[in-house]
Amino acid sequence: MNIPRPPIWLLILVGAVAILAVLILSGRITWFSTDPPVEFVPNMDHQFKAIPQSGSSFFSNKSSLREPIPGTVARNVSVYPLAQGDVDLADSVNVDPNYEKSEFVIARGQNRFNVFCAPCHNYNAKSDSNPIVKRGLWPGIPDLTRPETAALTNGRIFHIISAGQNLMPSYADKVSPIDRWAIIYYLRTLQQAATAGE
Amino acid sequence: MFSRQFDLAVKLGVGALGLVVVVVFCVVYFSVRNSVADVGYRPTQPVPFSHKLHAGELHVSCQYCHAGVEESAHSPIPSSQTCMNCHLLVKNDSPKLAMVRESYDKGTPIEWVRIHKLPDYSHFNHSRHIRAQIDCKSCHGPIEEMGVVSQFSSLSMSWCLDCHRSPDKHIVGARPISGVFTGKLEKVSNLLDSTFLFKPIPAQVDYAGVTDIVVPSFGATESKLPAHKIDGIPHPKYAGYGPENCSTCHY
Repeated sequence: MNIPRPPIWLLILVGAVAILAVLILSGRITWFSTDPPVEFVPNMDHQFKAIPQSGSSFFSNKSSLREPIPGTVARNVSVYPLAQGDVDLADSVNVDPNYEKSEFVIARGQNRFNVFCAPCHNYNAKSDSNPIVKRGLWPGIPDLTRPETAALTNGRIFHIISAGQNLMPSYADKVSPIDRWAIIYYLRTLQQAATAGE
Repeated sequence: MFSRQFDLAVKLGVGALGLVVVVVFCVVYFSVRNSVADVGYRPTQPVPFSHKLHAGELHVSCQYCHAGVEESAHSPIPSSQTCMNCHLLVKNDSPKLAMVRESYDKGTPIEWVRIHKLPDYSHFNHSRHIRAQIDCKSCHGPIEEMGVVSQFSSLSMSWCLDCHRSPDKHIVGARPISGVFTGKLEKVSNLLDSTFLFKPIPAQVDYAGVTDIVVPSFGATESKLPAHKIDGIPHPKYAGYGPENCSTCHY
């Protein structure tokens, strides 16, 4: 049988398409798309149930859950009772539980300090060379290692973290009470280090 | 009407064509769906938030906004309150933030477009992975370099299992920027680098004396893990191999 030889350009074209197909299918080539991914077989991918932080078609305001009754408190959540101005009550309400200052607790304090405090107060608590201070985005961030701050009681610092102070907002919704104490213990080590370094 | 040979040829032809269609469909479906279909999904978000600016340049930790990821199965999208912690003052007249201010004033949520989506029959628990000291980057990629976030990993089942079977090849160790708690004091000089190498500890699961839970178990074992919490602090679990039984994710 006499099969005619295919032209060279056809061979090159077929080869290129094959290589491209292999690269795409193996995930070597990807591209960005604003379109949602195609679902070839969407079997049970989308079930009629409430999923956290996803809209719902069931209620008219697209919320998955109903609003809780005003004043509802979630289980195992402590609500900080004081307002920002109740400075005088800070020490009597926030009694230092005196957790053991073990390496684990201090490490936890460091971890939470780095997450929630360091963006403004820097990793050394001196509020000196972090990007937010350098760019001048926020005015008057105090140095937490200065003597005035070091002289504050633990309960007072707990009050500042929980209720906020001046321009600093409350972090009661983000940092649990035990983490706040851990942060305070870690801050004390930073203050001691700064005093010793001077 | 037609000859036998023609009839046979038609039957064979149709059969071959069907086979080709099935094979092509399977190849395309399993390859594309599993490895590339979801990667690179980069939807336009209602607020042009830049992770590159906030995490990469301003060094705001992942957990500052996605707080609660240590405790929760899903990583929380921050409330408008979180944005306004800073933007009450910073760029407080920017038109790009109009929607955030409106959300903050009215109490209506911003409708961010979800990027990472698992099928509803598989469950992923963020807190379990964060406590195993797995950095966000392992799955989400270098978010701190993304101006607009796109999906980095395929989130396919084979992708999950690859990592559960050989985590040391895939996992980025905890970095200070991600706020993953490792239980030990770290240097904070290198924010964007891992301070330790992720090493799974094979002794995590003591296979001696462990009986299978169900038959067939698909490798299900009772592992001896540290307590869920110690004194109220979310305790980091030791870095170990991931479980491979079906009911880990499909329950």
